[in-house]
Formats: sequence, C-alpha cells, structure tokens
Amino acid sequence: MKKGNTLVSWITSTDHKVIGYMYLITSFIYFLIGGLMALVIRAQLFAPGLEIVATKEQYNQLFTMHGTIMLLMFATPLFAGFANVIMPLQIGAPDVAFPRLNAFAYWLYSFGSLIAVAGFLTPQGAASFGWFAYTPLSTTTFSPGVGGNLWVLGLAIGGFGTILGGVNFITTIITMRAPGMTMWRMSIFTWNTLITSILVILVFPILAAAFFGLAIDRIFGGHIYGIETGGPILWQHLFWFFGHPEVYIIALPFFGIVSEIFPVFSRKPIFGYKTLVYATIAIAALSMTVWAHHMYVTGSVLLPFFALMTMLIAVPTGVKIFNWIGTMWRGSITFETPMLWSLGFLISFIFGGLTGVILASPALDFHISDTYFVVAHFHYVIFGTVVFAMFAGFFFWWPKWTGKMLNERLGKIQFWMLFIGFHATFLVQHWLGVMAMPRRYYTYLPEDGITWMNQVSTVGSMLLGASMIPFLLNVWITARNAPKVTVDDPWGFGRSLEWATSCPPPRHNFTSIPRIRTESPAFDLNHPEVSGIRQPGDEEREHELAEKKA
Amino acid sequence: MKSNVVLMTILTCYFVVLGTVYTVWNLIDHGNVEWAGSTAIILSGGLTGFIAYYLAKTRKAQGGELIEDRLDSDIDDGDPELGEFSPWSWWPIVLAGAASLVVLGLALGFNFWISFLSIPLLIVAVVGWTYEYYRGYFAR
Amino acid sequence: MLAGCTPEQLRGFLPGDEPGITNHTDGITGLWVTSWIVLLIVGVITWGLTIWAVIAYRRRKGQTGLPVQLRYNMPIETFFTAVPVVLVLGFFAFTAVEQQSIEKRAENPDVTIEVMGKRWAWDFNYLDEDVYFSGVQVETDESGSAKPETMPTLYLPVGKEVELRLESRDVNHSFWIVEFLYKKDMIPGKTNYMTFVPQKTGTYMGKCAELCGEYHSMMLFEVKVVEQDEYDAYIESLRAAGNTGSLGKEYDPNQNLPGNKVPSEESTEG
Repeated sequence: MKKGNTLVSWITSTDHKVIGYMYLITSFIYFLIGGLMALVIRAQLFAPGLEIVATKEQYNQLFTMHGTIMLLMFATPLFAGFANVIMPLQIGAPDVAFPRLNAFAYWLYSFGSLIAVAGFLTPQGAASFGWFAYTPLSTTTFSPGVGGNLWVLGLAIGGFGTILGGVNFITTIITMRAPGMTMWRMSIFTWNTLITSILVILVFPILAAAFFGLAIDRIFGGHIYGIETGGPILWQHLFWFFGHPEVYIIALPFFGIVSEIFPVFSRKPIFGYKTLVYATIAIAALSMTVWAHHMYVTGSVLLPFFALMTMLIAVPTGVKIFNWIGTMWRGSITFETPMLWSLGFLISFIFGGLTGVILASPALDFHISDTYFVVAHFHYVIFGTVVFAMFAGFFFWWPKWTGKMLNERLGKIQFWMLFIGFHATFLVQHWLGVMAMPRRYYTYLPEDGITWMNQVSTVGSMLLGASMIPFLLNVWITARNAPKVTVDDPWGFGRSLEWATSCPPPRHNFTSIPRIRTESPAFDLNHPEVSGIRQPGDEEREHELAEKKA
Repeated sequence: MKSNVVLMTILTCYFVVLGTVYTVWNLIDHGNVEWAGSTAIILSGGLTGFIAYYLAKTRKAQGGELIEDRLDSDIDDGDPELGEFSPWSWWPIVLAGAASLVVLGLALGFNFWISFLSIPLLIVAVVGWTYEYYRGYFAR
Repeated sequence: MLAGCTPEQLRGFLPGDEPGITNHTDGITGLWVTSWIVLLIVGVITWGLTIWAVIAYRRRKGQTGLPVQLRYNMPIETFFTAVPVVLVLGFFAFTAVEQQSIEKRAENPDVTIEVMGKRWAWDFNYLDEDVYFSGVQVETDESGSAKPETMPTLYLPVGKEVELRLESRDVNHSFWIVEFLYKKDMIPGKTNYMTFVPQKTGTYMGKCAELCGEYHSMMLFEVKVVEQDEYDAYIESLRAAGNTGSLGKEYDPNQNLPGNKVPSEESTEG
C-alpha cells in the first residue's frame, strides 16, 4: 500500500474491527488525559493550603473534565470499542448490521468529545460545574462562558453516537447470528453487549433531552430549569435517570470480558450460564429504577422505594460474583496476564459492591453522601471493573487483533504496580469521607486531621499513574519485536467463536465456521475428545480412513 | 427470536408495574406525582413494548424458526449470501463533521454563523450517504 | 471479643468523640457498625472462596488434560441467590425504621432557626428570638488553618428540640454537621428541614457538601451546642449588636432575573 493510504483507509473504514480499534485507541488516549488531570488533583490535595493549581476555578474545571472524560469519553466508548471488535466475531457474523452507521457513530463520539474538551482553549476555560452539571450552578447566571456551552452540546452529540452504536449492536445480535448460534449459545460477552445496548437506547435519549434543555436555557434564554418551577430537582431526576444506568452501561460489558477469560484460564465452561444471563437482565432492569439514590439528601425523593430497589441490585451482582468463583472452582487454573487482571478485578469489585450496600441505606447515606466515601466507592466499582477488565481484554485479545502476543513479564509488572497503586490511592479515601472530607474540595484545613490520609492517597496515585509506563512500553516493544502468532487460538483453551479464525481475522471475519452446538464452539472444535461434538465431514473422513486401513 | 421477544416483554412488564408502584407510592407518601420519574419509567416500558411487539409480529410472519435459532443447524444450511456490506465510505466522517460543526456553531454563538454555513454541508452529506450505492459506479 | 477495640473503632470510625451527640447519632452508629460487620463477613467469605480457588485449583506443573466441564449446579445457585435476598430485606427493614425516625418533623420544636446558604457562607436567622447572624467566607492564615473570626458559628441550646429550615439564596448547597452524622441539601426554591435534639455540649464541624462554585471548600461553619444561659447570652449579644429581625429571601441575589423568584407556594415534595 502506498504511504498515507493507511490513514485514509482508517478514516473511511466501515470494517467493524478497524472502527473498534479506533474506539479503543481514542478512548485510551482520553483515559491517559483524564488520568493526568487526576494526578494534578491529587497533587493539589497533598497538603492543606497548597496552590499547585493556580486558581480554585481551574481546579473545578479539572475535576469536572476528569469525571466527564473518564465516564463519557473513556469508559462508554471503550464499551463500543470492545463490542465492535469482538461481538460480530463471537456470533459468526461478517460485520455489523449497519457498517456506515458504525463509522458515523465513532466520528460523532470523536468530534463531540473534542468539542466538549475544547472548553480548555477558551478564555474562561472548560466547564467547571461538576460532571453532573447541577442547575442552577450550570446556568449562565452562575457559569457564564462558552466552555459550558461546548460541554453541553459536545456531549449531546457524542451521546447520539452512543445511541446509534447501541442500535447497531442490538440489530446485529438479533439478525446476524450464524446458523446454530441460538441466543442461549451466545457468549456471555455478547449477551452483556446486547443488554448494555438496550440500556443505552433507553437512557441516552434522556441525557440528550436533558442536555438540549440546558443548552436552550444557556443559549436561547429558556426557563426549563427555572427555580420557580422546581428546575433544580427536575434536572437531578433527568440526569440521574440517565446517570445511574450509565454506570451499569459502563460495568456490564466488562463483566462480560472477565466472563470470557475466567473459563479459558480455568479450562472449564462458565459456571451458571443461564443464571448469569438472568442476573444481567435483572441488573439492567433494576438499574433503571434506582436513580434517586443519588438524591437521598435533597429531601425530595421517595426514600424507601429507592432504598429497596438499590439494595436489591446487590443480589444479582452477588450471583455473578459467585458464578465467576464457581467457574474457577475445581478448574485447572493458570495465571497468564489476562487471568491476573481478571482476578484483580474480582478482588477489587467485591469491596466496591460492599460499600455500595452501605450507600444504599438513606440513614447511613445522609452522613456520607457527597464525601470521599462515595468517591472511594465508585472508583472501586468503576475503576476496579473498567480498567482491570480493559487490560484483561487487551492482553487476552491482542493476538487476535494484531497477530502478536503482548509481553507477559511487562504485563505482570504493570499489573502489580497498578493493583498496589490503585488500592493505596482509594482504600484510605473511605476513611477520608467518613471522617470529614466532602467531594470537590480544593483544599482542607490542618485541623481537620485528614492530612496524612490525603498524602497516602496522593503517593498511591503517582504509583498508579506510573503503571501506565510499562504498558506503553509493552505495546511499543510488541509492535516492533514480537513474533507473529501462527495459530487461531494461541491460549490453547479458547472457547468462543473468535478463536476459530486467524490472528488477525480476514476482512469479513471467517473463511469457515465450525459447527455450533454449545456456548463454546471453538473449544468444541479443538477438543472433540471432551466436547463429544463432531464437525460436518468427520464421519466421511473416518470412513475414508477406515477404508484406507482395510 | 423467541428469546428476544420474551426478553423485551419481561422488561416491558417490569417497567409498567414499577412505574405504577412508583406513582402510587409517591401519591400515598407525598400526595403528588413525581412527574419526571413516573414519565421516564413508563415511557421506557413504551420503548421496550414497541420492540417486543415488532419482534413478535416479525416472528409470527417468519413461518418457522430461523436457521440461527435451530439447535441442529449446520453452517452450510444458512443463506450463502448475507447482504451488501459497504466496503468503505467517506460519508460517515463528512456527515459527522457537518453535524459537529452545526452544533459547534450553536455553542459558540455570534448569531450561529458556523451553523448556518454548515447546514448545506449537512444536507449534502445526508443525500450523498443515502444515494452512495445507487449512483456513479453503482448506478444500474 | 470486641473488648480489644478502641472506642473509635467501636463506632466504626464515625466522627464524634462520644456517643449520643444528638438523639439520632446512636441509632445511625448502631446501624453503621452492624451493617459493616455483616458486610465484612460476606466479604471475607467471598474473598476467602476466591483465594481458596486460586490456590487449590491451580494447574500443577506437568498436569495435562481438562477438568470436569461442569456447567451448573441448581441447588448452590439457588442458595447464593436466596440468602442475599434475605439479608437485603433485613437490611432494608432496619434502614427504613431508622430513616423514618431521623426524617420525622417536629410538631412543636423548641427552637426554630432558618439557615440561608449563599455563595459562600451562611446566614442564621434565629426566628424565635428575631435576631440574625450573617456569616462571611472563611479565610485561612499562612499555615492553611481557618481564621477563627471568619468562621460562621451556629449556637444551639442543649437538650432542646431544634428545627432548622434550610434555604438557598442562589445555587444548590448542602448543610452538613459532621459529628451529627447528617446533612441536607439546600435547593433554591425549596425549603428543607432538619429535626434533632443536640444532647451533648461541644463545638462541632460544619461543611458545605454540594458543589457551589469557586469557594465551595471555604464554605465552612461551626456549631456550638451550649447550656441555655450561654445561648440566651449569645442571643442578647446579637440583639445588642443591632442584628434584629431576619435576613429573608428579599436579600437573595439575582432577583431581577426571570425564573429566579421563589415560588409563591411551598413545594409539597419531600
């Protein structure tokens, strides 16, 4: 290919794999940017009275954009990335149902995010009213400046990209499965992609509507969120009706990723496939009716309804955790990096789930709402899920995408640095929140008695940040030096259909597809002695062999 | 297909039931309806209900199980031709760029000059995308 | 078994030097500690199972072949679905009782104080005595400590039922009295209520807990719970300083902006 053609071929690509890679790369870049912002925030909080960030207004911009970037420009598009690359392969489809729409959705995300982040280039800076953008703080009365407009509209248009992506995934799963790939033989990752996409089409339109309303108030002088008519509480209801399912949109695909990895490295099928699917559906449904647990302290919500619904979500989540443990139980486990990352996820997520149960109780939440306890909780569940499972997925599927395996030694170094750094940063924040520290504070008083805990957290965050270096090094070295993978399934015990095609796959994914009789078609193909499943043509081959012998 | 219909129906029933519970409970405890939540939950049931209905009708019109839903299908039993997949296209990035420029113009203000200049590009992109595989090299 | 724990640990690291700071804190503390104990037991079991699996079922050197390809076990799956449901329902029951008791409004509070949150300090209108205190933003000295003369202070008489009416002059704020283990948001256009009996004299920390702009982290205050005579003396000092009457909503900023007026009817929500 001529030089320069690669760029053109990528920006005009309608191949779900290439679009997926673009999503993965762009969202990872945003992860690094948002992460750098977090390091600056932690540096500022190292000691009372510091002025590492020059003004409090800039500090507010930093945490606003950190949250926005991490949730809407990193975690959500990362789901679209993984779903794009993996799901069609896992159902035996040649591409997604609407390839051009797929590319369109990526570019909407890309341009929308640039618009939102462009606020930093304006004189008054980026949006600084927190990623939840509570009104009236986010109206032009209190946050004039074009940064807020860019934020609201950039995210609205990026949200459209996510909706279109969701539509594409649902249609593909319903209509483009290979023969014999019934719904109940799909991989758990694909099931989670379907359910996540349903959540996306349910709640992102509400986000878009809420944001367009705010845009009308900001730009065209509307009063949708006017104080006279209960606007502040209306905003919170609309935002959180989106916001809570959003965190499950972020979590469920990554639960799907580890559900692929545990079976492969335990050499057993996923335990409790059916209950896992039911649990995921239950989580999705319940997640739509818990939103006001973010509003317990507003004095405006039906506390017992939301407390009950929120506590109930713990049940299907627990079922999933026990199913993952059940997958490992009586297995034959090895600890290559994908498994290490998945175990790191499991250990961290369990704790995040426990603190979530505490937060579900209004009586306890009255004290810890809007404190660092909440920050600790959501970093445990979101970072613990998304980041650990992201790296698990990267190490697991890198050979499938690129034809090369990432370096194991560097991967293990990265894992331990990240694991220790992560816990050092966030474990102590539980105490910080309980004892005295609210969220979004630029600094604190020496007499608060929380200085040493903030220092532990800051040092931990630096280790966490540093753990990205071995990963970037790994990607570089692998691209330059690693040997090419010559088999379809380099891990040896792959189960789902992507492990029955080459590394990387051809343009439309398969030159031939094995017979599909269980949720592990590639495993059944490669281990017929255990699966007992015969491929088409096996009988004829055996007949020929028998005839030759005779 | 049956599983998809069942999934959407379960979700629809869930939303309708819980929307009602939420509305009634609010009336009992607070004496008024919490409009945002009640509307959102019940209309979510509307969305899943639409999809359930559509899928149920499609399933009925199929005349039997689709090849991918049969437990005993082989790959060769499927249709040899799956459809037309766009090989590559400039229109997605052009349309996304045009839409983003329109939105950027709204954000920046100044009588929205950027938006007005981008709307023609938006229209061209929509038309170009729609007719891409019906004109030029692809015209019949 | 718990005799070896410090008092701090026994309260689950909640702030406050002694039990019973208000009539609600003991109930909250009890619920907190019990919930944590149950949750940590569940956690230890789950982590324990994970770590056991990782150690006991690792592939040994030279091992070949595949383990039994077990796909499900209905009795176990039913067990680990049903037990959490029971635990959750129990937790919900205790929580509902506690939360109802905390949120209950007083029929005839002994003391009614209107607290106005504003960017970035607090006004306290002592409605019964018709005096007010107007706060300014907390400033810090070179070491980062708060300058005492800038710290807004709310005085409350010990042992009396207090109702605080929470209002906002501009954006959302949140009134958090740390050792009372309670906060409530201040939402413009809506009056919120806090009802409690302070039971121990002392000085307690207060912080704004809802992002309200640039000086959100400086929107601090203190609560001094004092004997009745000291409270009366404080009220008199406000009166003597000329702070009679109350600083009501007429002092809110931005009143000329459309959509920013307080609704004529009090919201019935909440």
